[in-house]
Amino acid sequence: MSPQKTAAPKAASETQLIARAQQGDEEAFAALFETHKRRVYSLCLRMTGNTAEAEDLTQEAFLQLFRKISTFRGESAFSTWLHRLVVNVVLMHLRKKGLQQVSLDELDTSQDEPVKRDYGDDDLRLMGSVDRIGLARAIRELPPGYRTVFVLHDIEGYEHNEIAEIMNCSVGNSKSQLHKARMKLREWLRDDRQRTQLDALTAPAGPPDER
Amino acid sequence: MAEERFGESAACWRFDAELPAYLEGEAAPQVTAHARECQFCEVVLADLEELRSASRALPREEPSRAVWANIRTALAAEGIIHEPVRAWQRWFGFLGVSHSPAPIGALAGLLILASMLLVPSKDLRRVGSIGGASEGARVAIASIGYPGQDSDLLRTVQDLEGSFQARRMSLEPSVKAIYEKSLESLNTSIRECTESVQREPANILAREYLLAAYTRKAEVLASALEFDAR
Amino acid sequence: MPANQVPKEATSVLDRYLKANARERQQSWQILFLFLIPAGLLGAAGVAHLEKTIETIANPRISLANLQGQVVVRGWDKSQVHATWVGLSPRVELDTEVLPHKGPAEKVHFSTHVLDPLVSGKDCAADYTLDVPVNSSLEIRSPQGSVQIEKLQGDASVESVGGTISVTDVAGHLSVRSVGGNIEIIRPSGRVEAYSITGNLHFVSPTSSKLRGSTTSGKITYEGDFAPGGDYTLSAYSGDMEILCPPSASFELNAKSVRGRLENAVAITPRRHAPSPPATGYSLLGTHNTGEATVELTSYSGTIRIRQQH
Repeated sequence: MSPQKTAAPKAASETQLIARAQQGDEEAFAALFETHKRRVYSLCLRMTGNTAEAEDLTQEAFLQLFRKISTFRGESAFSTWLHRLVVNVVLMHLRKKGLQQVSLDELDTSQDEPVKRDYGDDDLRLMGSVDRIGLARAIRELPPGYRTVFVLHDIEGYEHNEIAEIMNCSVGNSKSQLHKARMKLREWLRDDRQRTQLDALTAPAGPPDER
Repeated sequence: MAEERFGESAACWRFDAELPAYLEGEAAPQVTAHARECQFCEVVLADLEELRSASRALPREEPSRAVWANIRTALAAEGIIHEPVRAWQRWFGFLGVSHSPAPIGALAGLLILASMLLVPSKDLRRVGSIGGASEGARVAIASIGYPGQDSDLLRTVQDLEGSFQARRMSLEPSVKAIYEKSLESLNTSIRECTESVQREPANILAREYLLAAYTRKAEVLASALEFDAR
Repeated sequence: MPANQVPKEATSVLDRYLKANARERQQSWQILFLFLIPAGLLGAAGVAHLEKTIETIANPRISLANLQGQVVVRGWDKSQVHATWVGLSPRVELDTEVLPHKGPAEKVHFSTHVLDPLVSGKDCAADYTLDVPVNSSLEIRSPQGSVQIEKLQGDASVESVGGTISVTDVAGHLSVRSVGGNIEIIRPSGRVEAYSITGNLHFVSPTSSKLRGSTTSGKITYEGDFAPGGDYTLSAYSGDMEILCPPSASFELNAKSVRGRLENAVAITPRRHAPSPPATGYSLLGTHNTGEATVELTSYSGTIRIRQQH
């Protein structure tokens, strides 16, 4: 799903909202917030894994956007402009937290890692075992650069050309980072599944858990 | 061959190279063909497809209301937002009437008085509760899945509510206020849960809350009537 | 609120009366020195003060029905019930029923009886202070005004409409129900059930092995550990829920919400389960440390927060 694939009337009304917001109309700001809040917040939440941080970052991103709204001239889609700002805010935040992270201009261009292949692969198949909490945890384990591309593409539905514009990188880089992110997630989820199976095998015998 | 047994053949390497494009929706028939022959690569493909569908199923989260409240406060403090011109102000401005509240208030008063004289009296009578047996509530509580109990519970709540409405004015004002506030809270939960259950019949938690709300409402109404009887 | 502090709103009837009228204050001090005189004889004087001492068995059943005013019950190591009753208005009196009529009492019932059916509001108010055997079982119905219970080994049941209920150091089965009042339960060690519709629930340092709390629009706060093998169920509809537990707490968590948020700041190892997560809403299933206790938290639209005590 691409945020640019919107119906023409909706795009026209957003143009009107932006124009009104540029005049200081509170209702226009509120409407713009309402339209984009879930996407922005979801992005922040997937990137940080923490609801309080995600809310702070959402707030910061919208404030920066609204402060600069008078400078928006329509060169790109408003949502692209917004999400570029959000990604910047999030990555700056992660940088401040001291996490090892990749800047927007320095995406890893090393060779693709070989696919991990283990004997007994079938037993660790992910089919039917990827739950929401486990997946969210695995996403948080990704390096920030991989995490950003994965969240934007596989969760938020951006196309690679849009991600390239948001992250100021090439389409090729975006595709390459996405594949690496997916492989890393797969590896993490399989390792986690293996740990769970080992725990089940080594757990003391007792009545079956019915919960 | 040993290396094929562990998924390290040249065909597997080609599979690895074509896999990203295949997942992007590009044509790569050799990916699916090889997956049919190679158990290890088939697992890789299945895992990534499972991961993709799980990722797409992740819900969109919603921030709390505090976020907009904080943004609005900051924008107002920085002078970025201005008080909106209200629709009625624009309308009265069009009429040439002053924006001052006094003449507008007088006009509003006349309109209200006119409506009171024209609207049938029964519509003006205060409806004591919105938690009564609306059709929506009937359907929702019937869907909870406790055959027999749901209709009995609903009838009990209706009866109790009728008695309460008839006698609430005899309660001491401070006590009446407590009961009415609690019933309002319960009616809100009944309304919200009813809507949830109608929208998402599979939402077990909402259904449990709906049943609990009706049960508590019955308890509160019974308590109020017992209090009145003392 | 500190455990030993009476809620601010629980000013006694006597205090309110003394502050109100300086002239009548002189009369009321005279009245206080009169003991065991039926309230009817004091009608013309205003405030009535009674004291009774009743010999009981070691574990009597004590019940009390008040309308408005403060109720304080404390356990002590005597096989006696000592009751102090202060009625604001001459239109109320204290009724006492003791069974059996001879010998140590097995059941004692106190109630505030309204003499005039037209009386209402503060004229119905009466304050109780009871010292009861520590192994007593207790039943209190007090629609308005506060209830305070301390140091009881037996079971206790409290029903209120609007007053605050504060229970400290009760070891027996504790059941507290209110419509709009706040409930505070400190250091319970027996089974606990606490329900309010709009009031808040506050649990502090429970050692109970079974605890249930439910409110519709009030908040729930749980501060303390969870007993190994214990079962804790807390449910709020729109109010927020806050759990503050020590780092050593060991529990299995099942937290669910339809529309509210789940904010977790303790290390929970998520559980893997074959069925898919709920189609709607949020859930968190997992264990903290070794998962000795079972903690179930549900909310409809309130936020559930789990944090560590420091």
